Amino acid sequence: METEPTLPKEIIANLENKYRLNDPLWKQYVDYLTDILVPRFSTAEEVPSLLTDALIRFDVGAVHVKWMNFGPSYASRARTVNDIFKAQLPISAQLGVLALCIALTIGIPMGILAALKQNTRWDYLGMSVAIFGVSVPVIVLGPLLIWIFAVTLRWLPATGWGTWQQAIMPSVALGLGSSALIARLTRASLLQVIREDYIRTARAKGLQERLVVIRHALKNSMIPVVTVLGPLFAALTTGTFIAETIFGIPGMGKFFVTSIGNRDYPVIMGTTLLYAIFLVIANLIVDITYAWLDPRIRYT
Amino acid sequence: MSNRKSKLVFGLVVLATITSVVLAGCGPTPVPTPTAGPTPTPKVITQVVTPTPAPITGKLFLNLGPGDVPTIDPALSTDTSSVQIVEETTVGLTRQHEETTATEPGIATEWKQSADGLKWTFKLRNDVTWVKYNTATGKVEQVLDKDKKPRVVTAKDFEYGVKRTLNPKTASDYAYVLNFFIKGGEAFNTADTKKLSEAELKKLEDAVGVKALDDFTIEFTTIEPTGFLPMVAGMWVAHAQPSWLIAEKGDRWTEAGFFQGYGPYTLKEWVHESSITIIANPFWPGTANIPKPKINEVTWYMLDDTPAMANYETGKQDAASVPLADIDRVKADPKLSKELKIAPILCTYYYGFNTKKKPMDNPKVRLAFSMAVDRVSLIKNVTKGDQEPAQWFSRPGLAGAPTLKDYPDLGVKFNAAKAKALLAEAGYPDGKGLPEITLMYNTHEGHKKIAEAIQQMWKTNLGVEVKVANQEWKVYLKTLQTDSPQIWRLGWCQDYPDANNFDKEVFRTDGHEYKATNWSNKKFDDLVDQAGRETDLKKRTELYAQAEKILVADDAAMIPIYWYTRVTLTKPYVKRTFSVLGGLEHIEKWEVAPH
Repeated sequence: METEPTLPKEIIANLENKYRLNDPLWKQYVDYLTDILVPRFSTAEEVPSLLTDALIRFDVGAVHVKWMNFGPSYASRARTVNDIFKAQLPISAQLGVLALCIALTIGIPMGILAALKQNTRWDYLGMSVAIFGVSVPVIVLGPLLIWIFAVTLRWLPATGWGTWQQAIMPSVALGLGSSALIARLTRASLLQVIREDYIRTARAKGLQERLVVIRHALKNSMIPVVTVLGPLFAALTTGTFIAETIFGIPGMGKFFVTSIGNRDYPVIMGTTLLYAIFLVIANLIVDITYAWLDPRIRYT
Repeated sequence: MSNRKSKLVFGLVVLATITSVVLAGCGPTPVPTPTAGPTPTPKVITQVVTPTPAPITGKLFLNLGPGDVPTIDPALSTDTSSVQIVEETTVGLTRQHEETTATEPGIATEWKQSADGLKWTFKLRNDVTWVKYNTATGKVEQVLDKDKKPRVVTAKDFEYGVKRTLNPKTASDYAYVLNFFIKGGEAFNTADTKKLSEAELKKLEDAVGVKALDDFTIEFTTIEPTGFLPMVAGMWVAHAQPSWLIAEKGDRWTEAGFFQGYGPYTLKEWVHESSITIIANPFWPGTANIPKPKINEVTWYMLDDTPAMANYETGKQDAASVPLADIDRVKADPKLSKELKIAPILCTYYYGFNTKKKPMDNPKVRLAFSMAVDRVSLIKNVTKGDQEPAQWFSRPGLAGAPTLKDYPDLGVKFNAAKAKALLAEAGYPDGKGLPEITLMYNTHEGHKKIAEAIQQMWKTNLGVEVKVANQEWKVYLKTLQTDSPQIWRLGWCQDYPDANNFDKEVFRTDGHEYKATNWSNKKFDDLVDQAGRETDLKKRTELYAQAEKILVADDAAMIPIYWYTRVTLTKPYVKRTFSVLGGLEHIEKWEVAPH
C-alpha cells in the first residue's frame, strides 16, 4: 500500500473495460440494480466468472437459476461481494448474537437489581460497572483481555474463529459495552414503572414480589430496552470492525471500513444495503414485540 | 549488506546455469529424500515422472498481514502476499535468489541471447509436472492429460501464461512490465476489445514476441536488446498457467480444490479472510537452487501485526514481524532479542518534488531541502527499524545499483550548513521570500510521524515553515497524477531486482511518477536507457551512478530518505533464510526442527 505504482493508462483502460466502469453512470446503476433484482435463467453450462456470479443459485431441472448478483470486489481479484456475504456474514452474525446474549444476560439482571435496590450499594456497584463498560471501548478491553488470558495465563487462544474458546474473549469484549447500555436503560425504565399505580395494585392484592417485578413491572419497562435492541442487533450482527481486527476474526466488519479507503464500490454498496436490510428487519421485529409487551399498542 | 553476489551473475548468465544443467540433466529425477536430510542425491531413473510418496513432515505458521490474499492467479497478482503464494505454487523460467538477488534457473535450465541481442531462447526442464491437492484423499496428485499420462509443464504453458497476462480481457495490472520489453506486447495489451473482431485480436496475440519452439524451448523477442530479460521472463506474470483448467473453471480456477500448480508447494486450503495453507509437492524434482521442500505444510494467517505478535508470543506462530510499538520492548527482552533479526528489503522511502511549482522549480532549493534532512536521526528516533539512510534512489542490493562500499560519497547526505547556504544562493536567505510550501503524504500513522520530524528539521536547519497535509491513499494517488503538491511522499519496492525497475521505470520522462515530478532530463534518460541495454555489470553500475547523481544531486528531483529493512522474530527451532525480495520467502529452503 505504501508503494503501489501509478498504473499506466492502458492498464486502467483494460480494468475499466472489464468492470464496465466506462459505461455512463446511469447505465452502471441500472445494471447494478438489474443484477441484484432480476433472476437469470440459462440452460448452458457457463464458465464461472466473478462478473456473473450470484448469491442465490439453484437448478430447476436443466435450468440454472441465478439471482442477486452484488458484483465483484475490486480490491480482490478472486472474490465477489456474494462470496463475502456467504463466507463472512455468518461469522459476524455468530459473534454478534453471542455478544448480544452476553449483553442481555448481564445487562438486564444488573439493571433490575440496581432499580429494585435503588441508592444502595448494589445500585452503585451495578452502575459503576455500567459506566466502566460504556467508557472502556473494545479497542482497550480487547488487547487487555488478550494480554491477560492469552499471553500471560495462556488459557485462551489470542486470535481466530471456529472453536468455543476462540469465541469467549471477543463476545465478552463486545457484549460488555452493550450490557452497560442495557443495564442503565433497564434501571431507568424500571424505576419509572415501579412507581405506577398498577404496581401498587398488584402488590395490594397480595401478589408475590417476584411476580410483581417480572410480570407487571419488567414487561412494561422493556419497551425502551427493546427499542435500542433493534439497531444494536443490526450493528453487532453485520460485523464489528475493531473487535474483528483485534481478535483476527474473518468477519464482515472490516469491509464496512476498508472498502471506503479502497474505493471498492460494489463492496461499499453491498455492505450498506445489507446493513439497511438488517436494520429494517430488526426494527420490524421490535415493532411486533411492542404489541406483545404492551397490549395497548395495536397496529391496524 | 551481504547481497553483493548478484554482480557476478549478471551479464552472461549462461555460465551460472551450467552447473545446474549438469544436475538437472535431461530427464533424470532425483528421488525424494527423508526430511531434513543432506543435499538430495540424484539417482537416474529411466521414466520421466515417477510418483513417489514423500516423507516430508512438519508444519509452519506465519502471517501475511491483514486482509485476504487478493488473488493467487499469476497473471493478476500485484502485491507481496499474492506473489508469495504464486512463487511457491508455480515457478518462473528463472528465479531470483532471495538473498543475493542473482538470477538463477527456475523451470529453464539455460538461456542465451541471439547475436543481434533481440531474441532470448530458454531451454526448459522436462521433469516438472502439474499437480493438485485432492481434498478427498488429502494427497497431492499429478494432473493427468487426456491419455491419463501426467501433464508435464511445457513451453506452451509458458507461452499461454505470457499471452494470457497480456490479453486485454484479462485486465492484468502488471501486464505493463511485459509491455516494456516484449515485442508486440503493448499492441495486444492495449487493443480495444469492443471494436476489434476476434480474428483481429487473435492476429495481435500471434504477433506477441513469445513462442514455444518445441515442448521444452521457448523464445522471447524483445523490442530492443535487453540484457536483463531473463529476470523479467522469470516474473510471476510470465509463469506457466493451466489453459485447460482456466477454460473450464474461469475466474474460479485458483480456489482450493480446483487449483493446479507445479512449484515446490501447491495450494491446500484457502480460508478467505482467515488463512491460506500450502502443502509440499512430492513430485517437485528438487533442483540445485530450488530444493525439495522440507516442511510439509505452511499456513499463513491474515492478521494485523499486533494480533500476530500475540500469536507469536503464545507459540501459535513461528515467525512474526514486530510492530513499531513493540520494537523497544523486544530489543530489551532477553529471550525475544535473541530471536530478533533486522534484514534489508529492496525498497526505498522517498519524497518527490513537483518541479513545476515555485519554489521547487529551482534545483538549488530542492537540494537544500534534501540536504537539510537528517536521515540518521530520523531512523534513530522515529522509524526505529534500523533502516539505512538513503543517499540515492535505487536501493543497494539491486543488480546495477551503486553500493555504499563502492560509492561512499554518491548522492546526498545531511549537511545543514550547506543546505542553508544553497537556500541563500537561490535567493531565499533563511527562507525569506519563500511562498507557502506543502508537504503531502497518504494518511498513515508512520508517514505522519516521519513528515512531522522532517518538517521540524526544515524549520531548524533552513528556517522554513512547511505545511503538512494528508489524503487517503486512492485520493492521494490521483492528486499526484493531476496536481501534485510541491513535496510529496512515496515508496518504491522492486518488481524485479534490477536498478532499471527503479531509475528508469519510476523517474525517466514518462515513467510512473513523471506527472508528479514534471521532471525531465535528457541526460538522465539517455543514461538509464544505455544502462538498460548494457550487459557488463560494472559498466551498468557506473551508468546508474551517473544517473543517480543527476536525479538526487545535480537536479535533486527527489529526496531519498531511507532504504527499508524489516524487523522479524523467528522461533529458534526454525532454520530459515531472510529474503530481500520485498519479503518474498523461499520456504522450500526452510526447516523446522521438532519442538
